[in-house]
Amino acid sequence: MALPRLIFVTGKGGTGKSTVSAALAAALARHGPTTLADIDGRLRAAALVGTIPTGPDSVRVSDSLDALALSARTELEAFIRRIVPISAISRRMLKSRTFGYVTAALPGLEAFLLLERLRIMAGDAALEDRFIVIDAPASGTALELLGVAAGVKGIAPAGTLNRLAGAVESFLTDPDRFGVIVTLAPEPLALREALETASALRDRLGIATVAAIMNRTPQPLFDDADLRALARVGAHARLARRRSREHKFARAALEQLRHAGLETIELPMMFTDTIGAGEVMRLSREIEAELLRR
Amino acid sequence: MKTPALALEKFRVVICLGPGGVGKTTLSAALAVSGAASGRAVDVLTVDPAPRLLDALGLVGDAAEPRDVPLAGVRRPRSAQANRGRLRALRLDPKRTFDAIVARHAPSQAARDAILENRIYRNISNALAGVADYMAMEKLLELAGDRATDLVVLDTPPAAEALDFLDAPRRLIELLNSRAVTLLSAPAGVLKSGLRVVDLAARAVLAAFDRVTGLNLLGDVQSFVRSFEGMYAGFAERARRADAMLRAEDTAVVVVTTAEAARISQANEFVDALGRAGLRVSAGIVNRVMPPLPDVAELENAKISAALKRKLTRNLSDYAALKRREAASLDSLRAALPAGAQLLVASDLGREPRSLADLMEIAKGLQVRNPAQTDA
Repeated sequence: MALPRLIFVTGKGGTGKSTVSAALAAALARHGPTTLADIDGRLRAAALVGTIPTGPDSVRVSDSLDALALSARTELEAFIRRIVPISAISRRMLKSRTFGYVTAALPGLEAFLLLERLRIMAGDAALEDRFIVIDAPASGTALELLGVAAGVKGIAPAGTLNRLAGAVESFLTDPDRFGVIVTLAPEPLALREALETASALRDRLGIATVAAIMNRTPQPLFDDADLRALARVGAHARLARRRSREHKFARAALEQLRHAGLETIELPMMFTDTIGAGEVMRLSREIEAELLRR
Repeated sequence: MKTPALALEKFRVVICLGPGGVGKTTLSAALAVSGAASGRAVDVLTVDPAPRLLDALGLVGDAAEPRDVPLAGVRRPRSAQANRGRLRALRLDPKRTFDAIVARHAPSQAARDAILENRIYRNISNALAGVADYMAMEKLLELAGDRATDLVVLDTPPAAEALDFLDAPRRLIELLNSRAVTLLSAPAGVLKSGLRVVDLAARAVLAAFDRVTGLNLLGDVQSFVRSFEGMYAGFAERARRADAMLRAEDTAVVVVTTAEAARISQANEFVDALGRAGLRVSAGIVNRVMPPLPDVAELENAKISAALKRKLTRNLSDYAALKRREAASLDSLRAALPAGAQLLVASDLGREPRSLADLMEIAKGLQVRNPAQTDA
């Protein structure tokens, strides 16, 4: 399976974006250099692989995996430092009011600069055959973020910003450089949001590579005969039906996702007391096996 | 034994804060419906409700002002008191709220038009996350100012941190501060000592952006700030009143979350931040908790095959692990909550709420989670 250089992981809140990002990065790191980047400021995925990056500088996790944290605000600060001819504009000078004026005057600029950073990172990654996994915000915020380039073109009809906006747009629509994974859990709301997000990514933003990871599918345990025989064990039957329902829903969801043209990897529900490094390792093996199979 | 959950009747304002995607809007609506069912005149201000919830509240179309929600489908105790209850719902529209404030408080027609037409102003509700928060507070002040209303429930915009909401008025007001305009509009040569470096920075940054974009941001910002001259004091005064309302005895601040580890740690940060800001959290609500697990003893005597028993035992132990994970989350939130705050759980409805009856069911299902309680 040919993967894009940079894989952007989004999905409905609570469907395990960070866990999936961490597991995907760990899977890729077994085959080559990989970077796990957080852009929502929560640093969950990095914590799951055992590190807490503090900024855009890579922190080493293992020989082939490193982690870093990006933020729109940091990118805006860096951009301002580049364009403002004041030597050493201090952090203190860039107080909230300055940012307030700039974001109000140029809505979407901060988010746009973050995308520009992703574009540059993907370019650098291609040179060293590295993959980048982004633990991104939930679908709504992610769609807004990915859609800002068009807005920036509108604001700045010419000049440096306009040129950069064009470059960002061709990055996002290039299947070799950029792809999105939408995470979901086997439940109606998450499925609907995943399908809507995927179609917005493709139709509205022209993003070519979109796939899905359905997280938390319980392994089947009961067949129909079991469920019939259970009619008289009250509460236990309810719990058995719950598992069976989730499993069946996952089957139907998989069908719908495929029908929508989304390649989907299914990950098992981790029936464990916590989600930690061990669980991420197990999930990364599942992902790796699926990627090698395709 | 069941302890009464969140004694709503003590409060005039309930503010639901919490991470995004945890069902804040649904719980806000549920609390409002239950308040109205108990006979109070309730308003609920929602932010970005899901389509089904909009239907349930009848908020289709334009709902920027309170609209009556018929309580016909809601079971109420038969009493004169309960019959007095009414529910109104509205959906926050930050831009329109801001426009209305400008229209109401602008010193002149010309000042009003200057603001409404300013390019920065037109962008501001979309560009600055804090604007929605600030407008929610302005709307809250307006709704709570109506003495005929007994209770206002406020759902808040999704935020990464509690302080985003609390800090919104200060940030917006700082932007509108008319003192800045003198600094920004003074020609560079006459800038004297005593000016704050932040304003020099703003000026330098905007000028640099003008060079790379070919726009006139500096000019736009100057006219934007100047157009708010004379209104600034009013904004500051209302922000002060909103802050006082958040701290009032009869205001409940409620932190809503789900039990996933990531959300719980975010909720804990909310609770800490609110505490540091001197706000008292009345309750933490964990939404969509798993139903209690069945008793393993029930399996002993069940008349089913040994093979099926083994499967059920395995199934129980699988879900028990998830239940322990959830219990650890609840414990962690409890530890973060201040003394006297309740930890409540709302069980998973198993479907999307689509009616007032569903919302009522959620409100009735709210239970206090006592420390020693285990149901695995």
